[in-house]
Amino acid sequence: MATVTERERGKATHPDLRSYGQVNVDILKILGPPGKGWWFLFGLASAGVGLLFFSWGNQIINGIGLSGLNSPVGWGVYITTFVFWVGIAHSGTLISAILYLFRAKWRQSIYRAAEAMTVFAVMTAGLFPLIHLGRAWHAYWLFPYPNERMLWPNFRSPLVWDVFAVSTYFTVSSLFFFLGLIPDIAAARDHAPQGGFRHRFYTLLSFGWRGTDRQWHHFGHAYLYLAALATPLVLSVHSVVSWDFAMSIVPGWHATIFAPYFVAGAIFSGVAMVITLMVPLRKAFGLQNYLTTKHFDAMAKLCLVTGLIVFYAYLTEFFMAWYSGEEVERTTFWNRLFGNYWWASWIMLTCNGIIPILLWFKRVRHSIAALFVISIFINIGMWFERFTIIVVSLSHEYMPFAWGTYRPSLTEMGILVGSFSWFFFWFLLFIRLLPPVAIQEIKEVLPTPTRRTSHESGGSRAHAEVPG
Amino acid sequence: MNDGIKRREFLKVLGVTGAGVGLVGCSTDRVEQLIPYVVPPEEITPGVATWYATACGECPAGCGTWVKTREGRAIKLDGNPAHPVSGGALCSRGHSALQGLYDPDRLTGPTRRTGDTFSAITWAEAGDLLASSLASAGANVLLLSGRQGPTLTRLEEAWAGALGGRRVEFEPLSHASLREASRMAFGTDEVPTFDFEAARIIFSFGADFLETWLSPVEHSRGFARMSGTTDGFEKGRLVAIGPRLSLTGQNADEWVPVDAGSEALVALAMANVLAREGADAGPYATVLQAYDPASVASQVGVTAEALEGLARRFVTEGPGLAVGPGVAGQGRNATAANLAVLILNAVGGAVGRTLHPGSGHLSAPSSSAGDLASAIAAMQAGQVAALVIHEANPAYSLPPGAGFAAALGSVGFKVVISDRLDETARLADLVLPKSHWLESWGDSNPRPGLWTVQQPAMRTVPHFDSRPVGDILLTAARRLGQDLGSETFYDYLRAGWSDLHAAAGSPGGTFDEFWREALRSGVVELPSIEPIVPVLQTPDRALAFEAPALDGEGLALVVYPSSRFGDGRGANRPWLQELPDPVSKISWHSWVELHPETVSELGLRSGDIVRVISPHGEVEVPVYPYPGIRRNTAAVAMGGGHTSFGRWADGRGVNPMVLLPSEIEQPSGALVHLATRVRIEPTGEWRRLATVAGADNQQGRPIAPAVELAALRSGAFEAPERRDLEELQGVGGFVPVPTDGAPEAFPLPGARHGEYDPEAFPRWAMAIDLDKCTGCSACVTACQSENNVAWVGEDQMMMGRDLQWIRLERYYEGINADEPGLLDVRFLPMLCQHCGNAPCEPVCPVYAAYHTPDGLNAQVYNRCVGTRYCANNCPYKVRVFNWFAFSEIPEPMNWQYNPDVTVRGEGVMEKCSFCVQRIRQAEHRATLEGRGVTDGQVVPACQQSCPAEAIVFGNIRDPNSRVAQVTANERTYRVLDVLINTQPAVNYLRKVTFHPVEEIEV
Repeated sequence: MATVTERERGKATHPDLRSYGQVNVDILKILGPPGKGWWFLFGLASAGVGLLFFSWGNQIINGIGLSGLNSPVGWGVYITTFVFWVGIAHSGTLISAILYLFRAKWRQSIYRAAEAMTVFAVMTAGLFPLIHLGRAWHAYWLFPYPNERMLWPNFRSPLVWDVFAVSTYFTVSSLFFFLGLIPDIAAARDHAPQGGFRHRFYTLLSFGWRGTDRQWHHFGHAYLYLAALATPLVLSVHSVVSWDFAMSIVPGWHATIFAPYFVAGAIFSGVAMVITLMVPLRKAFGLQNYLTTKHFDAMAKLCLVTGLIVFYAYLTEFFMAWYSGEEVERTTFWNRLFGNYWWASWIMLTCNGIIPILLWFKRVRHSIAALFVISIFINIGMWFERFTIIVVSLSHEYMPFAWGTYRPSLTEMGILVGSFSWFFFWFLLFIRLLPPVAIQEIKEVLPTPTRRTSHESGGSRAHAEVPG
Repeated sequence: MNDGIKRREFLKVLGVTGAGVGLVGCSTDRVEQLIPYVVPPEEITPGVATWYATACGECPAGCGTWVKTREGRAIKLDGNPAHPVSGGALCSRGHSALQGLYDPDRLTGPTRRTGDTFSAITWAEAGDLLASSLASAGANVLLLSGRQGPTLTRLEEAWAGALGGRRVEFEPLSHASLREASRMAFGTDEVPTFDFEAARIIFSFGADFLETWLSPVEHSRGFARMSGTTDGFEKGRLVAIGPRLSLTGQNADEWVPVDAGSEALVALAMANVLAREGADAGPYATVLQAYDPASVASQVGVTAEALEGLARRFVTEGPGLAVGPGVAGQGRNATAANLAVLILNAVGGAVGRTLHPGSGHLSAPSSSAGDLASAIAAMQAGQVAALVIHEANPAYSLPPGAGFAAALGSVGFKVVISDRLDETARLADLVLPKSHWLESWGDSNPRPGLWTVQQPAMRTVPHFDSRPVGDILLTAARRLGQDLGSETFYDYLRAGWSDLHAAAGSPGGTFDEFWREALRSGVVELPSIEPIVPVLQTPDRALAFEAPALDGEGLALVVYPSSRFGDGRGANRPWLQELPDPVSKISWHSWVELHPETVSELGLRSGDIVRVISPHGEVEVPVYPYPGIRRNTAAVAMGGGHTSFGRWADGRGVNPMVLLPSEIEQPSGALVHLATRVRIEPTGEWRRLATVAGADNQQGRPIAPAVELAALRSGAFEAPERRDLEELQGVGGFVPVPTDGAPEAFPLPGARHGEYDPEAFPRWAMAIDLDKCTGCSACVTACQSENNVAWVGEDQMMMGRDLQWIRLERYYEGINADEPGLLDVRFLPMLCQHCGNAPCEPVCPVYAAYHTPDGLNAQVYNRCVGTRYCANNCPYKVRVFNWFAFSEIPEPMNWQYNPDVTVRGEGVMEKCSFCVQRIRQAEHRATLEGRGVTDGQVVPACQQSCPAEAIVFGNIRDPNSRVAQVTANERTYRVLDVLINTQPAVNYLRKVTFHPVEEIEV
């Protein structure tokens, strides 16, 4: 059969990709010498990282008072941003592990970048529990390390659960990330000029990958098991983070809906962030054949589903506040909508509840530009969701005489901007050093090379034997 | 309490005897060198406190105090329980004296002016300069002095006399008009004694008797005993009459808002009603006829019926007592207003029952602002060659119109004896640093027969090369060849007391024994003449009782003494600056009080900076909307706006005296405070108020409920049941732990923490009677002093980062500035509730918040990493955080730190500890003495300081403890407990009202 029918093209995930060799060339091309645009962005991100550590260092030297936090608002931008980044981290594992187990065909071209996003987002999130401490230099006291005074952390405290949840998640997601990378790193190794830095770097990271049948066999199993191991973490980590709030007695925090609500929110914001990252990536590196509207359509649908869950959770919260009959609870939620911070709640409701309605329309889902804009709205909305939950609830608790307000300080804004820079610093390095699209998995979903086209396949030795 | 007192007394005897023997045996020059620490004195055991009895020198009330010293440093002031004035309590200003003692802005040595600058000189040079200047001044010496103790006053009089000059006393918060009225009414120009406890209904015509008026601590105790509901459901009433509610006014049960200055008319109309109905008005019967309620009603805006009702209740609900109008209401008819109130008392039969003329404050100033005015005139006329000013700051506290600064220009030589380079000292030629009252000898005589020696509690703080003023004066006199009988003021004092002892018939054995006992106990009660009950005297001059005219137009301006700074002398004390004003809850800056309706009429909002313009001056100050003020009135507190007083006072707030004319009321000679109207002009600027108040409305939550007295009496009141909770319980939901605080209920179910045996330990608990609490905030400062609680400053207060362990919440339930009616303001001292089921404990990841076996909710500062989760999860919001290293304070302010309490560093959480150091100390002492801790031995600083006796602390598991007995009351409730099952250890007793209250479920 010389040509592919249109019908078959429609079914294929990457209808315009003809051969394995093309994949190698297209993807490894990204790892080539960076252009001015990349250097500009990288410079910007590095400056932002400088701002992050300057602000943080200044805060450590002079005191946490450089934040705008106060009594009663003991948590503010720092914890908001922590939850935001932990949430972002969730979709990566969802896409790479859960969708892998479900054999979703549209995950192949996005999961690598999503996983990288996960790892970097956890790295970013992990900074914030340290940043927000009054005495950051004693942060290790939260770990159960052996000591002569037999002092242990308080295992009843959700913050200790957090320590375990986040560190476990970081470990597993980075392992998963590196494992999946091995064949592609080997491809990059074969592609890189002998003796150069890149060749040595890839040699080291490819762990001697030769692409033998045996290696593929073990790789496949390890990947499957890790995927199975990572899957519950997707649900558990953000559940634990939500318990930081739900386990307290703060009106507006203390709700049983929090775990599923936070998990849905995490996936919602994470997928939105994947879209935000993928659109420029696709444009910059000409990956239109790899990231097709099919992929964006699928992500948009995931956004829509989780967004609906999140919006439903909002409504449930308001309903429960009213239905509980508790005056304190009712006041808290009334205050969310009409109090000092009404704008934060309305940003949240607009961005997360109203704007995603557009995703019902196929035309919107197929418009890359529209998706990009919507995904940014969702990101903003999800940040404000956490801000609303944390700050607005704390500012209006049980004792009316102790009600207060909170305004983020310059230091907090510096650290917030710095955290995005920190994330993009790593992400920009990643797209230049490691294949941001999974070469080997794309090949899995391409049509098997036929004899007629076999001379075109070639590619690297690493992928010579395609797994079965 | 018996055992503990014995040991304390033992220590005191030991301390005082040791010091006494040392002092008596020493040569005179070493008097102020109390404890040379090179040779460790016997009476000081490191780690064990020594107490000295003395008298507080902060205001004329003369509260007996104990000074707690550790290793030779004064670290805490407590009321002396044996002293009839303080009764063991102390106010915020009294506590803050320590910050006056260790104020880093005190002068470090004598200073003289050369040109426009000041340079340091030695005491020898200063002595030469003083002697030569005084010698050349001849007889034209004027000594201008603030209020002093009796012996120092006598010395000053003698000193001025010996030099051929004269002494003028200047007390900004003087009661000259009351004295003059008393003279006219009763023939004695002493301030009467007001027995608040004996009254059943009190009419306050504006006197802030719980804050600054006469003797606030004593009055608070009497008032709280009167107005606090007894076990037999007896409760007295307070009616506030005036244009503005002070804190005292907020404690009233009713408010009759009348225009400023019309208080006299109301008082006379009431007296008129009583006289018409048969009371004896004596020589004033004819005067009163002109003031029948019908004619007065239209002038004061209160109906005649209301006035008649008020008047009758003076007798029917009596014994009645009328007080006022105080310093704030001192208008151009001040004497008349005071006289009117005294007439009302006399007609209402209060004299001899609740008001005792002629037995009052002997040490109140003998002269008035009028004398100062004539002195200023003499200065201007060049009749004063040398002026010595001591403990007075007229350059600050007089209206600029008085021309004091200009008059100084005509004085040859000006000496200021002061502890700092204040506004007046800036104008002087020579400034001599004087020792603080905690470093000096002195005495006080608050009322006839009651005497206290003011003994130095420590040697002079070495940072400040100061000398006691008595010694400075004696030395100067000696240089001029005048012998005043003693080498040092200590000798002078002893000599004076020796005469006193002899005149009283040598009570208590020899003088040395008498003296030693006086030092030890801090109280000497000598037989005094029984005050006779005088009858009203015929008025010796005609007075106008009508509301006086006010200058200018606009809103009537009330300038009132600050309950924190008095006339402004406490302004450089961070504790007082940071203490939220009991009325406005604002700290660190001034504000102008306007009625919320007035504020919106002017198109303003809270925090807008306005220009307050009177015909005499103007100030710029932010607006505080206050529902407790008439719509046509504005009020500004005294005490702000210093220009040279210290780092914490300068440039802070405004001095409202610049708005006032320099006018002396006749015949009393009092400075007129109520004299002018002001215009309010917006400046367009806004500032964030440094307030601790969130909402003034308790939103129907179980926070500060009240109960109607009638419901208590009839037995109709019982704790309401919460049906919804029962229903919830039925389906296995939230289970509240029902308890009425009975001892056998402890430990409460669910309150077990750890493996220790809860039966073997006490359960420390507190009871706070909200019917007694006056909101005076003395507990806040006492706690700050005892527990090394840092201050944070204005910027931090604006951000909501107050660090005080007690937050005095204030909720308005009923307040109406437009017509006479019920007033319901609730106060709630909120401190750590030491919950049995504490929400803060499980959330701390490092066990910094944990539960002790004896039921305390402890905070381990050096374990805290600062996640602040505990504070988020604290429903009472009593946990405070060290955002910066607030405890790093300038030397020698840190000398005040209590060595028994950790000084907290940056980044850790802190909160009320129930004064755990005092608990442990009592336990250790009990262990050493082989016994258990008995009830009353552990007294937290707040309880000790509370002038209203509203706080009781103890082991609630002991059925005989006072806290268990006080808690066993139908009024007991626990804040929010019903909502969140926290099982607090602090039990509040509801406020009792005379009117029906909306029931809040608690």
